[in-house]
Amino acid sequence: MNVDRFLGMGAVMLAIPVAVASWGFGVGSPKSPGAGFWPLLIAFVMAGLGLTLILRPTPNAGGETGESRWGKFGISLVTLLFYVAALEPLGYLPATAVMLLVQLRWVESRSWRTSITIALVAAVVSLILFRVLLKVSLPTGVIPLPRGW
Amino acid sequence: MDTIGALFHGFAIALTPGNLLAVFLGAFIGTVIGVLPGLGPTATLALLLPITIGMDMVTALIMMSGIYYGAMYGGSTTSILVNIPGEAASVVTCLDGYQMARQGRAGPALGMSAFGSFIGGTVSVVAVMLISPFLAETALKFGAPEMFALLFFAFVCIGGLTGRSRAQGLLMATAGLLLGAIGTDDIQGVDRFTFGRLYLQDGIGLVPLAMGIFGLGEILYNIEKREAQGAILETPKSLMPTAEDWKRSALPIARGSLLGFGIGIIPGGMPAIASLMSYAVEKRVSRRPEEFGHGAIEGVAGPETANNAATAGGFVPLLTLGIPTNSVLALMLAAMMLHGVTPGPLLLLKWPDVFWGVIASMYIGNIMLLVLNVPMIGLFVQILKVPYGILSPLIIMFIMLGAYALKNSVSDVLATIVFGLAGYLMKRFGIEPAPLILAFVLGPMLENNLSKSLIMSHTGNPLFFFARPIAGVLLSLALLVLIYPLARWAWRRWAPGRDRRGRCESAGGNG
Repeated sequence: MNVDRFLGMGAVMLAIPVAVASWGFGVGSPKSPGAGFWPLLIAFVMAGLGLTLILRPTPNAGGETGESRWGKFGISLVTLLFYVAALEPLGYLPATAVMLLVQLRWVESRSWRTSITIALVAAVVSLILFRVLLKVSLPTGVIPLPRGW
Repeated sequence: MDTIGALFHGFAIALTPGNLLAVFLGAFIGTVIGVLPGLGPTATLALLLPITIGMDMVTALIMMSGIYYGAMYGGSTTSILVNIPGEAASVVTCLDGYQMARQGRAGPALGMSAFGSFIGGTVSVVAVMLISPFLAETALKFGAPEMFALLFFAFVCIGGLTGRSRAQGLLMATAGLLLGAIGTDDIQGVDRFTFGRLYLQDGIGLVPLAMGIFGLGEILYNIEKREAQGAILETPKSLMPTAEDWKRSALPIARGSLLGFGIGIIPGGMPAIASLMSYAVEKRVSRRPEEFGHGAIEGVAGPETANNAATAGGFVPLLTLGIPTNSVLALMLAAMMLHGVTPGPLLLLKWPDVFWGVIASMYIGNIMLLVLNVPMIGLFVQILKVPYGILSPLIIMFIMLGAYALKNSVSDVLATIVFGLAGYLMKRFGIEPAPLILAFVLGPMLENNLSKSLIMSHTGNPLFFFARPIAGVLLSLALLVLIYPLARWAWRRWAPGRDRRGRCESAGGNG
């Protein structure tokens, strides 16, 4: 499928609900624009450009090289979503260490020893750097931290 | 205060120990991230934005600028030694730089790239210093219609210059405008596209957007499609170019400085475009075009000069008009706004320390980079040898940390992942993301100035803009940029003596 045509169709399909919603915000008039005036204008431009891409697409860019690693891509994405869910309940240290361990061991195929060492050291060092030295607030979670951290 | 006096004042600010350290840190971090493929200055600045909140405004900006131009220096090292561009702006340097390295001339290639960058960067800073006060004074006369016309011109240029096709670039820019419209409307307090979510009421943050699209998107792409890394060549013993190299590079460096600065001040004129155009110009004017692609030093000197000149040139519209011309400068604009400083015509009057401090730091930074790059090339080669498989999880960790740290919000982390996925898809399908980010930043300013102008007009008639000379000229220019490709296409299609594909019927060749 041509990328431009796909983008064009997506743009036209998106422009319709944007225009409807903009109407709901109150379009006002050209001499006194309402909150929906600007998004309505965007929707019109978006639909126009979408149609242009559907009618006059440019050929896709050159062929891809290298094989796809969908499994690793999927693991990486799931780990990131786990991180979002675990960051506040578990705390920065365990959530970061687990995320790094999975990325290193299963996405990047590093040895257990390398993965565990880097995951732990990076999580602790970044915690010290950001929380202790730069005073960035990071969630504590289930592991008690030394006083003053 | 005259320009020279103001510059001395700037040096007095930039030479304080804290600011000097910021120049050094910026230049060093910039070079390192430039050397490392997969982590660009946009993602790095987005990552550092939360940290800069606690810093002095001038110090923060000095460091951020250093990272930006440092990345341009560092990008060439990877292009020359590994044949992988460390930065988009160093893509063309691979063509001749790597060939020079294979011929045992990595040293002169790296050396000329560093000298060219230094000259281009310095010439450009001088031009920024001379032009900015004049431009700021002119811009003080701008009302809302002029600002709208200027921003609209910027919007059209951004969409047209950076996309694979003009329509695609403009569509991505329009998507950026839509993302920028999410949140509570400033004037009437109406929630737009928030779906009842508290997080969306403040609008989408620039940091999750930039870090997701430029940082995480790149990493996810590299996880899905890992390409074999080229052999890393040995550290060259000397970086000094020969007299013949200097003779061949002098004019490309001069042309690269002017071309780079000129492109840098145009909205959408990214350093990558400057380096590509410089390469094309050098090949065209060369008496030995057949040597290009086989190790011609002009193919390294010109583009590397141009990308650094464009980097500094971008500061003119940012500091005098408040218009960022690329995504890195958009983050600098965000950093300034976080500190309550509004870049624009009033910056020179209200915050001269910011303007002159940053300008002076750029002189120092360019010298520092030249001095740093020569003795530290061995260190940068060692950094290049760290496997990407170890670096990429660490970069992900910093991206997640940066996303959370800005507002202590898990929603920002989730938004970064969503935009990371979008960035991955854009990279996968060859869609340029820069117009989206830039339009996202320009969008609220465009809307605000359009609303004010329409209210000022009392009639809502768009012809009102053309009754004001500056706004009229700027809008006409924007329309010309929009209409030109359509007119060219129509001419090719329907002009007499041409067939439907735009070819001359009699010749049957290219039209």
